[in-house]
Amino acid sequence: MTELADPIAPQAPMRADSPPAPRVRTRPGGGYAARLTPLLPGLVLIAFWQWASGRLVREIYVSKPTAVASRLYELFATGEIFPHLWTTAQELVLGYAIGVAGGIMAGYALGRSPRLARVFEPYVMGFYGVPKIALAPLFIIWFGIGMGSKVALAAIMVFFLVFYNVYTGVRGVDRELVNLTLVMGANQRQLTRHVYLPAAAPFVMLGMRLAIPYSVIGVIVGEFTSATQGLGLFIHEASSTYDPAGVFAGIAILLAFVLGAGSLAGRLERRLLRWRTLSGTSPSEI
Amino acid sequence: MTDAALTFADIRQAFPGPGGGEPTRVLDGISFAVGRGEFIAVIGPSGCGKSTLLQMAAGLLAPTGGEVRHRGRVIAGVNRAVGFVPQQAQLFPWKTLSENVELPLLLRGVAPAERRDRVAEALRAVGLDGFEHHYPNQLSGGMQKRGSIARTLIYKPDVILMDEPFGALDAQTRMVMQADLQALSRAAGATVVFITHDITEAVVLADRVVVLSQRPSRVLADVAIDLPRPRDVFEPFRNPGFELAYDAVWSRFRTQISLGRAH
Repeated sequence: MTELADPIAPQAPMRADSPPAPRVRTRPGGGYAARLTPLLPGLVLIAFWQWASGRLVREIYVSKPTAVASRLYELFATGEIFPHLWTTAQELVLGYAIGVAGGIMAGYALGRSPRLARVFEPYVMGFYGVPKIALAPLFIIWFGIGMGSKVALAAIMVFFLVFYNVYTGVRGVDRELVNLTLVMGANQRQLTRHVYLPAAAPFVMLGMRLAIPYSVIGVIVGEFTSATQGLGLFIHEASSTYDPAGVFAGIAILLAFVLGAGSLAGRLERRLLRWRTLSGTSPSEI
Repeated sequence: MTDAALTFADIRQAFPGPGGGEPTRVLDGISFAVGRGEFIAVIGPSGCGKSTLLQMAAGLLAPTGGEVRHRGRVIAGVNRAVGFVPQQAQLFPWKTLSENVELPLLLRGVAPAERRDRVAEALRAVGLDGFEHHYPNQLSGGMQKRGSIARTLIYKPDVILMDEPFGALDAQTRMVMQADLQALSRAAGATVVFITHDITEAVVLADRVVVLSQRPSRVLADVAIDLPRPRDVFEPFRNPGFELAYDAVWSRFRTQISLGRAH
């Protein structure tokens, strides 16, 4: 940014060095054409799938998009899928919420206290390395065949992702900024409210966004292992009865969920972190 | 000196050496006092621990030896009576300019109506009215620096500690900021401790220049600058008596610079 200092007399009143950068708000995308471009590869893939099915690969193996679509329609029209959807949705929301809350609290506590971090970090690291999928059978034993075990699996997968992001974010807070705020008169509570939380917010949001697909994996793996109801069970049954259209229909629903939740999280992030996107220049450039 | 705002008494500081080796002695018995309403510049070669002194005055760092007294009381713990202007503006990027400037008042529990008035006044004083709702990354470096100064002046701290505040600015903005600082600190009757490595800046701004030596540093000289105010910061050499004052500081400082070359 160029600065044009006015050649003012030494004792002239203060004035702004330069006009502020014009607010350039580039909208991601632009027109309709630009917004639809990301759909193109998907459409090509679906078209190829439709063409190849029965030509390159036998339809019994891969089904085809039209069959999947009609299967989807049928599932919703008859209402067959709703109980599964309802169960899975509850497990997802609960598991995600518990994992995120736990991750934020633990990440924040360890990020703020080097003493706590020295004691607990190795444990968290260790448990992070354990493949959670291997725990699925145990979780079924501990939390039952119902929703509890799936919620626990999703929560634990989400927890670690959120934990590490928040932990990194809080630890990365500029020490000088903290000191400055203390001199300005902040107590610990105010320090949390005005410095640590906002500084960690981008990391919290990133963790929350990354955790969405993981919560889905946790729930579906749990339902695959053992369940009485749920989308995972539905997919599992479809695959064991040689029903590829059913499998793909289930996957399509999951896909729609992940994409929808992801875009919602992205929107929330842009809204909460407005200060980051308002200007094209990053603080480091100035 | 009984009316001193800030007294550094035989300050010593050592930092542990790398790998548990010999500790690095940074400050080796620094003593000087800052009178009320005085503008003191501290200069010294880089790495001589100038900034460390400010951290001690702010109560963010305890000296290994000696003590810092603020109005006669030994500083222990964060000193909320001072204001700190760091080298980087360090505005909170998630707060607008007016929220940034307002923060010290908010933290100190000032009522909303008074906060609003004082923020408007402080922003006007530094020429930033009209930018209240801008975020720091929408402001130029000089404007951020003004915001940082406004945020410090707003709570009328007893002593203002400035750590090479204009070091990162370009030459032109820097001169404008020096002029403004001179005007503001005179108007406020503020006590200022100003760290710099620029002799011209030190001489043109300060009532007294404290020259520190190479590490482990001691006070080499404490030079009074008796130039009339207001001083011309844009053409410092035109101030009557400037050359003499500059020479007085430079003659002590140059020994340290050639020393630095020999190392």
